[in-house]
Amino acid sequence: MIELPRLIINGIMTGSIYGLLAMGLTLQYGVCQVLNIAHGEYVMLGAMLTVTLSTAFGINPLLAVAIIGPLLFVIGFLLQITLFRTLKARAPSPPVFEGNALMVAFGLFYVINFVGQMRWGALTYSNTYLTDRVRFLGTSFGLNQIIACVIAVAIGVAMYLFLSRTRPGRAVRATAEDPATAGLMGVNTNMILALCFGLGTMLAGIGGIMISWRTPINTQIGFNNTVIALVVVVLGGLGSVPGSFIAGILIGIVSRLVSGLWEPLLIVPVYYAILMVLLLVRPAGLLGKR
Amino acid sequence: MLEVSNLNVFYGKSQALRDVSLKVGEGEIVALVGANGAGKTTLLNTISGLLRPASGSVEFLGKRIDRLAPYKITKLGICQIPEGRKLFTDMTVGDNLEMGAYSSVAWKRRKETLEQVYQVFPVLKERRKQSAKKLSGGEGQMVAIGRGLMSNPRLCMFDEPSYGLAPKLFSEVLEVIKRLREQGITIFLVEQNVRQTLEIADRTYVLGNGQIVLEGKGKDLLQDEQVKEAYLGL
Repeated sequence: MIELPRLIINGIMTGSIYGLLAMGLTLQYGVCQVLNIAHGEYVMLGAMLTVTLSTAFGINPLLAVAIIGPLLFVIGFLLQITLFRTLKARAPSPPVFEGNALMVAFGLFYVINFVGQMRWGALTYSNTYLTDRVRFLGTSFGLNQIIACVIAVAIGVAMYLFLSRTRPGRAVRATAEDPATAGLMGVNTNMILALCFGLGTMLAGIGGIMISWRTPINTQIGFNNTVIALVVVVLGGLGSVPGSFIAGILIGIVSRLVSGLWEPLLIVPVYYAILMVLLLVRPAGLLGKR
Repeated sequence: MLEVSNLNVFYGKSQALRDVSLKVGEGEIVALVGANGAGKTTLLNTISGLLRPASGSVEFLGKRIDRLAPYKITKLGICQIPEGRKLFTDMTVGDNLEMGAYSSVAWKRRKETLEQVYQVFPVLKERRKQSAKKLSGGEGQMVAIGRGLMSNPRLCMFDEPSYGLAPKLFSEVLEVIKRLREQGITIFLVEQNVRQTLEIADRTYVLGNGQIVLEGKGKDLLQDEQVKEAYLGL
């Protein structure tokens, strides 16, 4: 019975990346009210840019985090401060904004996906990195997987401390709960929204970089990651950052168990089965508030 | 100190404020009374920068503020204690108070200011670790006022502080307001609870259907029977 612990540890490692993606999505939805259907496209950009950086410029795929992370932060920051901010100012009511933002995010999904296809074509790239195996518990794991998991958990903990302990982190929570009152407290809410959107795209990008270390990638990996992140976010409770991370790890474990013990094709149906049961039993999600 | 001139504010096509002009002088307690839906909160939100006027101006200490973002207006020394308290319910009482000192200048002085707030409301010191969700109406209002004071305001605007409070508790809030004025904070008090409000106000404006319909000394308005019937519902 060495199989079960191996699958679970593998699941935790995969799930930590799902948690990272979901934290990004939940920041964008919970604070900016943008249900970012294009989220997975930033995962794709992170992954494909890593390939380009390492093949064209010889940049180490680990170091890519320090280049692509900030780049995607800036992209997200600018999207919020130009596009979504204007949409919000023009919308007659918050529900109308949410609907419009969802449609615009769909548009961004196609735009970024098309740009990706123009740049990288339909090829699948394999740019695996740190593929050495590390043996423990009588089985072995990829070094890339272990490092990705450590980075993801470190970012998860950092995000938690940022939101709970720091002055700007508290401003994020205040803005999520009541933007008008946060403004009255002296919070520059437009900046906070841009910060959250930027962090969201950055987390997606970093997730993409780490996916490229161990899986072959192409320009179509985005949508599947959006689907996973959506399930994880709803499971964790919309808007709950710690909930997203925990739910990410749970979904990771489920995915490994389903594919290892049953049938890989059933992974996504099982996600949705769990989601439906959870929504019936506990509609606010695992750590949701309402 | 605060001068509002010919302010017109719209929600979409419907006009919420019509040519509103009023003044609040340094050190005064000025009240604005009027029925539900008269436009009182709209006026405060416009002064605070949450709403943009279609025309007219708002000046604070001689400076136009009607195009500034709310956080800049807070920094200049205006605080609004919003209707219904609007506490941050997923934070503790202490964190709520600290949020009030978010502006850079207030942030540097937050420890001293916090001690002053605890002097005004000693019970908040005991409750500082408690979630803001589980407070009684009176305690909630104390947190809301304390949070506003954390920004070191020169002008404090109260929106309906009687909301959800028993008359006796509201009297205590009014006592606190008088003490704040003695400490040099100018007060703009917006209320539906007319009688008690007029008792402490130096001057009062009456807002009806988005327009200033009457202005006078608080006590004079209370004595005028016609006014009482027509505008104050007493």
